[in-house]
Order: sequence, then C-alpha cells, then structure tokens
Amino acid sequence: MDLSLVLNTFTLLTLTTLSTPIIFPLLSDSLKNTPSTITNTVKASFLISLIPMTIHIHSGSESLITLWEWKFIMTFKIPISLKLDFYSLTFLPIALFVSWSILQFATWYMASDPHATKFFTYLLLFLIAMLTLIVANNLFVLFIGWEGVGVMSFLLISWWHGRAEANTAALQAILYNRVGDVGLILCLAWLAYTTNTWEIQQLNSPHQTPTLPLLGLILAATGKSAQFGLHPWLPAAMEGPTPVSALLHSSTMVVAGIFLLIRTHPLLSSNQTAMTTCLCLGALSTLFAATCALTQNDIKKIIAFSTSSQLGLMMVTIGLNLPQLAFLHISTHAFFKAMLFLCSGSIIHNLNGEQDIRKMGGLQKMLPTTTSCLTIGNLALMGTPFLAGFYSKDQIIECLNTSYLNSWALILTLLATSFTAVYTIRMTVLVQTGFTRIPPLTPMNENNPAITSPITRLALGSIMAGLLITSYITPTKTPPMTMPLSIKITALVITILGIIIALELSKLTQTLILTKQTPLYNFSTSLGYFNLLTHRLTTKTLLTGGQNIASHLVDLSWYKLLGPEGLANLQLTTTKTITTLHSGLIKAYLSSFALSLLIILMSAH
Amino acid sequence: FTASLLLGTTLTISSNHWIVAWAGLEINTLAILPMISKSHHPRAIEAATKYFLTQATASALLLFSSMINAWQTGQWDITQLTNPTSCLILTSAIAMKLGLVPFHFWFPEVLQGTPLTTGLLLSTLMKFPPITLLYMTSPSLNPTVLTSMAILSTALGGWMGLNQTQIRKILAFSSISHLGWMTIIISYNPKLTLLNFYLYALMTTATFLTLHSTKASKLSTLMTTWTKAPTLNAALLLTLLSLAGLPPLTGFLPKWLIIQELTKQDMA
Repeated sequence: MDLSLVLNTFTLLTLTTLSTPIIFPLLSDSLKNTPSTITNTVKASFLISLIPMTIHIHSGSESLITLWEWKFIMTFKIPISLKLDFYSLTFLPIALFVSWSILQFATWYMASDPHATKFFTYLLLFLIAMLTLIVANNLFVLFIGWEGVGVMSFLLISWWHGRAEANTAALQAILYNRVGDVGLILCLAWLAYTTNTWEIQQLNSPHQTPTLPLLGLILAATGKSAQFGLHPWLPAAMEGPTPVSALLHSSTMVVAGIFLLIRTHPLLSSNQTAMTTCLCLGALSTLFAATCALTQNDIKKIIAFSTSSQLGLMMVTIGLNLPQLAFLHISTHAFFKAMLFLCSGSIIHNLNGEQDIRKMGGLQKMLPTTTSCLTIGNLALMGTPFLAGFYSKDQIIECLNTSYLNSWALILTLLATSFTAVYTIRMTVLVQTGFTRIPPLTPMNENNPAITSPITRLALGSIMAGLLITSYITPTKTPPMTMPLSIKITALVITILGIIIALELSKLTQTLILTKQTPLYNFSTSLGYFNLLTHRLTTKTLLTGGQNIASHLVDLSWYKLLGPEGLANLQLTTTKTITTLHSGLIKAYLSSFALSLLIILMSAH
Repeated sequence: FTASLLLGTTLTISSNHWIVAWAGLEINTLAILPMISKSHHPRAIEAATKYFLTQATASALLLFSSMINAWQTGQWDITQLTNPTSCLILTSAIAMKLGLVPFHFWFPEVLQGTPLTTGLLLSTLMKFPPITLLYMTSPSLNPTVLTSMAILSTALGGWMGLNQTQIRKILAFSSISHLGWMTIIISYNPKLTLLNFYLYALMTTATFLTLHSTKASKLSTLMTTWTKAPTLNAALLLTLLSLAGLPPLTGFLPKWLIIQELTKQDMA
C-alpha cells in the first residue's frame, strides 16, 4: 500500500471533515448544526488526523499537495499548496485534540447561551483558518489563515458585545494584530521582489538575508504572539468567553506568530541581528509578562499573562536557533494551558461568574477533579520534572545556559522562570487552599461529564505528551548533553526558589499588616504603565497630526492662504497703499514730478 | 476745436524742427482744454486745470531740452538729439505728456472729469504726437530710465486699476499700463511700439464708444447694460478681454511680440 497516498488522502479527509458543518447547512434546511454535532465532527477529524501523523512517525514521509494555482501574474506563481511535514502533521492532531476537548467543555459552558450554535460555528471557522495556516506551503496561504484567525479572534472576543470592555478588547486585538500584519506584508513584498516566490521550501538563502524583511517577520510575530511592544491585547482578550480564551489565546492563535518564525527559520538563521532581536525581545516579553502576573487578581488574567510569558520563552528559543525545540514547547504548552483555562472556566461558572481569586479559596474540597487538574497543569507549567512542560522548558533553559550568547537574556529568562513559579503557586494557594471566601449559597458540582472528561483528557495529555513527542521524533540539532551539575539543575533550583518565596509571601495574608503601595507594586499592577502611556498618546498624536495635515495644511494653507486667496490678499494690500498715495492735490503731484526729474538727472550723471 | 486738434497733431508729426513740434503740442493742449471743461462742472474745471498745468510743464521741459541740445550741438533737428542731459529731460517731458510713472498722477483725475468722447480723444489722439517724438528720438534715449519707468507703469497701472469703481479711472490706468508696454520696447524695436499703440488705440476707441452709447460711467451702471443692449455688452466683454491681452484676441499680439523681442535682447 502506497503510504504517501494514504498520508495525503487522510490529511485532506481531515480538513474536509472539518468543513462539513459549514457546508451542510447551506445545502439543505434539515441539516442544521447543533453544538454536539460540531463537537463530534472535530472528534472525528482528530481521529482521522492521527493516521497521517502515525505514518509520518513510522516512515518519516513528508508530502506536498498542490491544489490549484492562481494565475494572476504569469511570471509569479501563487499555488494553493499544502505542506505536510513534521511540523504540520504533528500539530494537526494536537490542535484537533485540544479543540475537541474545548468544544466538549463549551457545550456545558455555553449551554445557557441563546446563540450557542453560532458560537460553535465561529470556533469551527477559527479552527479551519488556523489549520490553513499550519499546513500552508507558501506565505500567501499562510497569510489567508493569518487574517482568518485575526478576524475570528475579533468576533469571538466580542461575543458578549453588549459589554463595552469586550468591544474595546476586540478592537485592541484587531489593531495590534494589524500593526504586526504590516511586518508580514513587508516580508511578502520583499520576497516577491527578490526571490520571486512565496514558497516555503524555496526560502533557503545561500547568503545573509538583509535585515529588513526579517524585522518585518519579527514584527508580525510580535503582533500575533503578543511580545513586548504589541502585547496589551492579550490580557484584554480575556473578555471573551473561556472556551475562546482556551482555544485562541492559549494554544493556537498566539502560537501562529511563533509558527511563522519556525517556518521561515532558514531565512532567519543566517542573520545575527535578527536572532539577537528575537532573543532579547523574547526575554523582555517573558520577564515583563511574569512581572505583571504577580499582582493580578483575576484568574483568567493570571493565566493570560502566563501565556504571554511562555510565548516570550518560545521567542527566546527561536533566537537560540532551535526551531524544533520551540515547536516542542508549542505542542506541550497547548495541552496544559488549555487545561488551565478550562479549569478556570469550570471554577468561574460554578462560582456564578466570580473571577477574582481573592474571593475564592478552599475549592479543593468542593471541586476535586477540577482542582487536581489545575494543580497538574500548574506543575506542568512550572516545568516539574517529567511532566509535559519539563521536556521542552528545561531543555530550553539548558540550551540557554550552555550557549555563548547574550547573558542579559539569560538572566531575564531565569528571573521569569522563578516568577512563573511564584504566581502559579500564588494562584493555586489562593484558589484551592485555605479558608473559603466565596459567598455561602453557591451550588457547585462537577457531575456533568462535559466538564470532567475534557479536563481529564487534557491532564492525561499534559502528563504524557512531552514524553511521547520527544520519544518519537529525531531532533535536527543535537541537544547539549554534558554540562556542569549546577547548570543542569538551574531551572529546577530557580523554580523551587520561586515556590518557597511564594509560600512565604502567601503567609503575609495572615499577618494582618497593611500592604503599602510601593512603586514596584504599582508597576506590576498597572501592567508596566504601558497601556496608560501608549493608548492615549499614540492615537491622539496620530489623529491630530492627520487633522493638521489634512485640514490645516492642505485645505487652509495651500488652497487658501498660499493659493488664490493669498495672491488676492497680496494685491489688495498693494492696491490700498498706492490708492492712498493718489491724493488728488496738484501741488503734491507737481512736486513729485520735480523730484522725479531731479532723481533722473542725478542718476544719469 | 476738432480741427485745431488735427492741425496740432499733424504739425507735430510731420515736423523736423523742435520749435514746430513744440508749437504743435501747444496747439493740442489749448484746443482740448475747452473740450474738457465743456460741462462747467467743478470736477471738469478741476480736470482742465490739472491737465493744463501738467501739459504746460511738459512742454516747457521739452523746449528746455531742445534748447540745451541746440546750445551744445548747434542744430534743432529732432532726430539728432545727442546731448545726454537733454535726452533725459526730453524723456521726462514726454513721460509727463503721456502719463508714464512717476509722472502719471494727473491722468486718472483728468480722465474722470471729462465726458467720455473727450476722454477718448485724450487717450488716443493726444498720445500720438508724444509717441511720434519718442519714436523719432529713440536711438539716443537712455534705456535704463525708459525701462524702469515702463516697468513701474505697467505694475502701477495694474495695481491701481484694481481698487477703482469709476470706469474712466480704470481706463486711465489701463492706458498707463499699455504705455508702459509701449515704452519698454522702444529702445530695441520701435516698430513694435507703434504696433502696440495702433492696436491699443483701436481697442480703447471701441471701449470708449461702447461705454458712451450705454452712458455707463460707474461699475454699478455697467452691471445693468445687458438689459439695454445685450449684444453690445457681449462685444464689450470681448473688447475688454482683448485689452487685457488674452491670447486668442488681438490684444495678445503686441504683448507677445514685445516679450519675444525683449528675450532676444536678453532682458526678460
């Protein structure tokens, strides 16, 4: 049996299965969607997509499917082609698995919503766009998927569009993504201009690529993956329902930026400036996000900032020229981050909409499954040995330690790792342990399998995924094997240090000392003053500048002052002056005649 | 009176001797004075007075310049005016007679005080002898003085004409402008001066006669002429545009040729 044929067929079958809930309702009136049909569709797609992945792991076969060519310009080929290599074939089942769990959870979470089907359709559309991005072979199809996920993110964040903050957050998401898109388009233009192709496998440049298109790519990743500078949209995006946060802003959409950098990695690897930019930008993002997460009180915002921090870590990995390791971290991170979001969603719904962790506590006894999975997720996030996060995160920090690159980036990343431990433990302690601070009459239960099975499935994934993936793939670069003991256990030591500090700090709540507002605390709480400084200032300058140019400069000055009216005014002043000279007195005239005569005679001699 | 005017003009044009030219100019002045003050209106009398004073001064200066030349060179021939001082004085005298800047102050008020037909005579016929004299003596005249006067005339005529509501004053300033154009080319190609003068005389005659027939003396009166004589109004439009020098009309021709000549002489 021709394995490559099977590979291609089943991948296309996966994608087609996903599109059926979109197409069938258009064909016939009786084929309407319901949330459960969409969930089952995604489950079926997941199971189908396991087959191509298995084939790839077994034989290492990759393939390239070209579907159609857009004959727009004759000399420039834009085929719609799919690239099925290690990255896409591995990420497809992972994304589908996570999506299936999230959709199943959402059948419970959005049960009381009147437009639940529309919600599920949106999620499905998002998933299709994301998968287009993943399997794209040229940057054009990738861009289609890129824009698709941006638009769906906008629609989903503003799901509860009656809420003003939700609309603002959605606008923020779109605007920051757009700024990043400028970078991507810059790179597309440069590629079309110099290399005359947008295909990914033709991206190997023999010599150093100029820095400008690479900066464009990094800008695109900054916008999409919320690196420092274009980051405020990610915490604000928590206005959307929890399934949205789980799917988009933890596992799939935000990794699109990093995925772009992984795909275009051959271009990046030769340019030292670009690599250093990635490294430092990633280190800065991860530390900044971790600092902001320390003083957050909203459970979803803590998890959002932890996502942002992990994205910074992925950027650091790209900066270390280790795309495969970054991909590994993407895959493992998807599992436990989605699970963390689902647990928080379960807690929020059970507490009737309460998201503040200062009003939760002691939930261990009341929601055992959820809280155990929350603990597993947090441990995986911190990089506890042999859970999923360990395989990727620890390896990243080892490579960072043993490389000869930027030590500033190293310090920032280590600091961020300890902060990760601090805020994770803080969240766990405040949510699960201690005395309960919830209102008395909250009926909460976990009896619905729609909650428990996705969460437990993802917990299983969090534990096993790291081991499974690392066992079955051959790394393209040899990881560092020998290093001093202190370097080897750096990540672990830092994490334990963070745990100890967090446990100490959590005892502060029992010591009855009034907390003062120190500058550091203010910095962390107000998200580093970034939102406050930039949001008003940049928009105001741009708009006033635009008004100045358009109306003041063009309309008023060029067309009126310097143009027709200005000339007329000039003539008017002259005319008025000269008219007053003609007084009508003959004596004045005759004397002026005499004077002129004298002047003429004088000047000629 | 018209006969004396014609006599004076012919005398000046066809003269070879300075005294004859001067005599012709004096006859012209004296003949037109009663025509200006025909209506006995104070404004007309004032116009006549001003006109007399300026023209008398100009004639005296003319005589003075010819006498200096006669003293220096011993002859009274018009075309042989060689003494630089007398050339300068002659230039200013003729400028005074014509109405070039800076000797133009009398012109608008005089024209305002005269009835329209007399004004026509003032603008065209009275300019003719001085221009002839200028044409005859043009080789020996100082170009710098002429050019500066001409440029000032053109500019001043334009600017002053903007702020007027009385049509006769506007026409006076247009005449000053045109005289500027005529004077600027006289040192390089006097034939163009004559061409300019003839065409200007034609256009101004048309304008004056039109205005006379519609009895319009102010801009506000001019606004209502379309009801009385619509075709004449349209014709007036074209004439005025020609005066302004718009390309497809005749008035553009002298301007174009003058500019071309000046460019050849490296002055534009």
